[in-house]
Amino acid sequence: MKEIKFENVRKVYGDTEVVKDLNFTVREGERLILLGPSGCGKSTILRMIAGLEEITSGNLYMNGQRVNDTPSGKRNVSMVFQNYALYPHMTVKQNIMYALKVKKIEKKEIERRFDFVLEMLQLRGYENRLPKQLSGGQRQRVALARATVNRSDFFLLDEPLSNLDAQLRVSARKELMKIHEMFGQTIVYVTHDQIEATTFADRIVLMYNGELQMIDTPDNVYHRPANVFTAKFIGSPPTNILNIEYDHGAVRIGSQSFLLNEIWKDYVNQTGTNKLLFGIRPEHIELSPVSAQKGVRGQVKYIENQGNNYGVYINVEGQEIIAMSESKNWTDGQDVYVCPVMEKIHFFDKDTERNIGYPQGLEMKDGITYSNERKVNV
Amino acid sequence: MKINRRVENVWHLIFIITILIMILPVIYAIGMSFKPLHDAYNNVLNIIPIHATLENYITLFDTLPIFRITWNTFIVATVATIFKLITAFLAAYAFVYFSFKGKEILYFLLIGTIFIPFTVTMIPNYLIISNLGMLDNVWGVILPQLADAVGIFLIRQSMKNIPLSLIEVARLDNMSHGRIMKDIVLPLVRPAITSVGIWFFISTWNEFVWPVLILKTTENFTLPLALQMFISSEGGTNFTVAMAVSVITMIIPLILYLSFQKYIIGTFTSSGIK
Amino acid sequence: MSSLTAAKGKLHINRENAFGYLLLIPSIIIFAVFTFWPFIYTIYLSFFEWNMISPTKEFVGLKNYTEVLSDPKTYRILGNTFLYIILLLIINCVIPYIFAFVIDLVLRKYKNFYKGALFLPAFISLVVGSILFTWILNPVSGPVAILFNWFGLEIPNWTKAEGWIIVVLSLITSWKVFGYNFILLYASINGISREIIEAARMDNVSLVRIFFQIILPMSSATGIYVFIITIVQSLQYVFTPVKVISQGGPDYASSNLIYHAYHEAFVVYRTGHSAAISIVTMALFLLLLFLEFRYVERGVYYEN
Repeated sequence: MKEIKFENVRKVYGDTEVVKDLNFTVREGERLILLGPSGCGKSTILRMIAGLEEITSGNLYMNGQRVNDTPSGKRNVSMVFQNYALYPHMTVKQNIMYALKVKKIEKKEIERRFDFVLEMLQLRGYENRLPKQLSGGQRQRVALARATVNRSDFFLLDEPLSNLDAQLRVSARKELMKIHEMFGQTIVYVTHDQIEATTFADRIVLMYNGELQMIDTPDNVYHRPANVFTAKFIGSPPTNILNIEYDHGAVRIGSQSFLLNEIWKDYVNQTGTNKLLFGIRPEHIELSPVSAQKGVRGQVKYIENQGNNYGVYINVEGQEIIAMSESKNWTDGQDVYVCPVMEKIHFFDKDTERNIGYPQGLEMKDGITYSNERKVNV
Repeated sequence: MKINRRVENVWHLIFIITILIMILPVIYAIGMSFKPLHDAYNNVLNIIPIHATLENYITLFDTLPIFRITWNTFIVATVATIFKLITAFLAAYAFVYFSFKGKEILYFLLIGTIFIPFTVTMIPNYLIISNLGMLDNVWGVILPQLADAVGIFLIRQSMKNIPLSLIEVARLDNMSHGRIMKDIVLPLVRPAITSVGIWFFISTWNEFVWPVLILKTTENFTLPLALQMFISSEGGTNFTVAMAVSVITMIIPLILYLSFQKYIIGTFTSSGIK
Repeated sequence: MSSLTAAKGKLHINRENAFGYLLLIPSIIIFAVFTFWPFIYTIYLSFFEWNMISPTKEFVGLKNYTEVLSDPKTYRILGNTFLYIILLLIINCVIPYIFAFVIDLVLRKYKNFYKGALFLPAFISLVVGSILFTWILNPVSGPVAILFNWFGLEIPNWTKAEGWIIVVLSLITSWKVFGYNFILLYASINGISREIIEAARMDNVSLVRIFFQIILPMSSATGIYVFIITIVQSLQYVFTPVKVISQGGPDYASSNLIYHAYHEAFVVYRTGHSAAISIVTMALFLLLLFLEFRYVERGVYYEN
């Protein structure tokens, strides 16, 4: 059982609680991504798994055993650091083999593993170079190679790609995937980059301020955000969160309003609350220059070229809405009608900022049905 | 902003004069040690001897157990240096990689000793060495000098420059501290260890204050003490011989400095106090 | 987050802290036996009358202190000590500061040569320096006297002249100490971000203002350190030329508190007096350090 379980884990530095009451399980063989803005506690969590950081209270289980007091070296983990942590005075070969030699693994086996990883990560020809004689991408691969040859059950990565340029990241991700397919380690991977997270993860743990915000698949994190923070953090530009008044199927923004469809109307009515926030992603808004029934009117403030699309910033009754548009034929000050796609809207409780959930049978245009369970862990 | 050429030249002049004042005497001493005594008195301003001679060195070897004295100096400097390096390395490792109760206080106390004048510890240390029967013995000179606060400070600075993640990787691989020290930390702080070591060696080699209390007989002297004998007899008759002893005293420190100069200046400039 | 933990600079190693103490044991033992215990024992000795040989020590309370403090010699020596401190501070703190600044930021050529040459005497025995300069500055037959004669000048008979002797002994000591202080200050100035200085230069700020408004404040931590070691350590270095050249004379004119403590203990065998003088010296240093921290430290810029 190569799983990792956090049970009421807390971490306190002096007066600051950097990790608050954490409960979740990393499943055997999965690729779990710890995602969040800097200072959210994600690296601390990783370092607690590695045993490099003491656990203030709570229990951490690995392989079913409590490991709070187990030293790093006995946890069967390998780690790739953001700065790669290659020994600067050792060659590529020495870096990769050092730990194996110390562990007194048979010489033939060491050579076999070394050859294998050298081939897989295309490091042949660089065996006798020092880290400073390698490019950033090569160093990163050496760090991966060094962590791989250990054949550990748990593979920890702390922002491993953040020092690489965009192209190298793509290939490095592929290599990571390859390693994972080959050895099936349980991977915990820290990043602040959501693209990296969604492309690589089986599941994402989203952290903020030391608190777990949501743990779920990348699809659910995007389409079924557990709370306002998740909705805003995932996706770029962020989800629009609007202050609204809800009144029996009508969503009122300032003096205007639009109507929900029947499924949503029944669902929201049945929750019995009307203190709500309304969420809609910029890419799920249809813009129309002429009056539309399902929308509200606003004025274009400015347009941002996003490369393949245009982000249109719109003022609706004093609230700002960003919408994506394929056209750039909008002029500042122009009236525009904002129509949210009904299948893609979200409601959040105004006080708790939690998602109130989704009605059954919400037809998705992409044909995928998303989990309707609330995956919030708080 | 451009720097005025003339200002720059004035500064070059100032530096050249300062350096002449500092270095010329050393060159002078070397020249004098090869002059016959009458030459030294009559041709004072000649740096290079007119009638070069080895007679001063010959006199020196005849009148002083100079090999023995050089050997004593070498032993004191070597043993003290090795011990200072070992104790400083271990202490620095503890201060950098461990967190234990009282660490800050302890560090402060050890580094604070830099600021204690030696007269405060001089009498009791003399009594300790005397009680151990080590008066007039090089080991009595060595014993109180087996640890050094400046060494702890400099080596610690250098260790702090090693990324912590290197040590963490090693810990994840279940390396013992002994191995981490030997295979990782030591190779990475080697430049600092080398220059601090050279500095220790030379300071102990040149040391005067403490050996002068401990060593009594000529055979047991170190070079600076031997040199002092020529002064107490008012320079005078043995002046050129005194210069020869000076040359012998200077030669090893100078060779070490000139060969490791870049290294040493590098360490002092990179791991200095910030 | 990783930056936070790195900044804390400690490695979490479960329950192995005992090993940390173990590594410190050698240093602690040596410092305890040869620094801390002697320090306390010297305080103890300062309350006794003893000649280092007699088997008994006589408890005299504060008598050693009152005797030392009522002796006019002490004040003469104290005055000398302050004169030494002031001279040493000017030569080994102020001048190397300016030199380091000029070499780092004004000169374009020969920087490494100057650095290497200025540091060189730090590696030579001060006894050698004392002998050399005694001869070079010999008022009758030394090369300097001969050179001066050509211009009709005379150099004072400094070994016999009150005041002059302190100046000369300070210069000899500085010959040795200067380079070390210079290198420390150079390191600190060299470590200041070039962008800041370049920016100031582009704004046409004068070098003098750059020195006072950027360099001095930003290297002040090292500046303070050099200030302190100049007082504490150079004064101890002075011991060597005093011992070698003048033995404190003539008539205590070149003695200072450090040499006097030695003189009392190992020449006239009054350990009580010597201990009392040492403790007074220590107290004086502590007072200087305290004043320095109180009034100067406030504006200090620490990089870390």
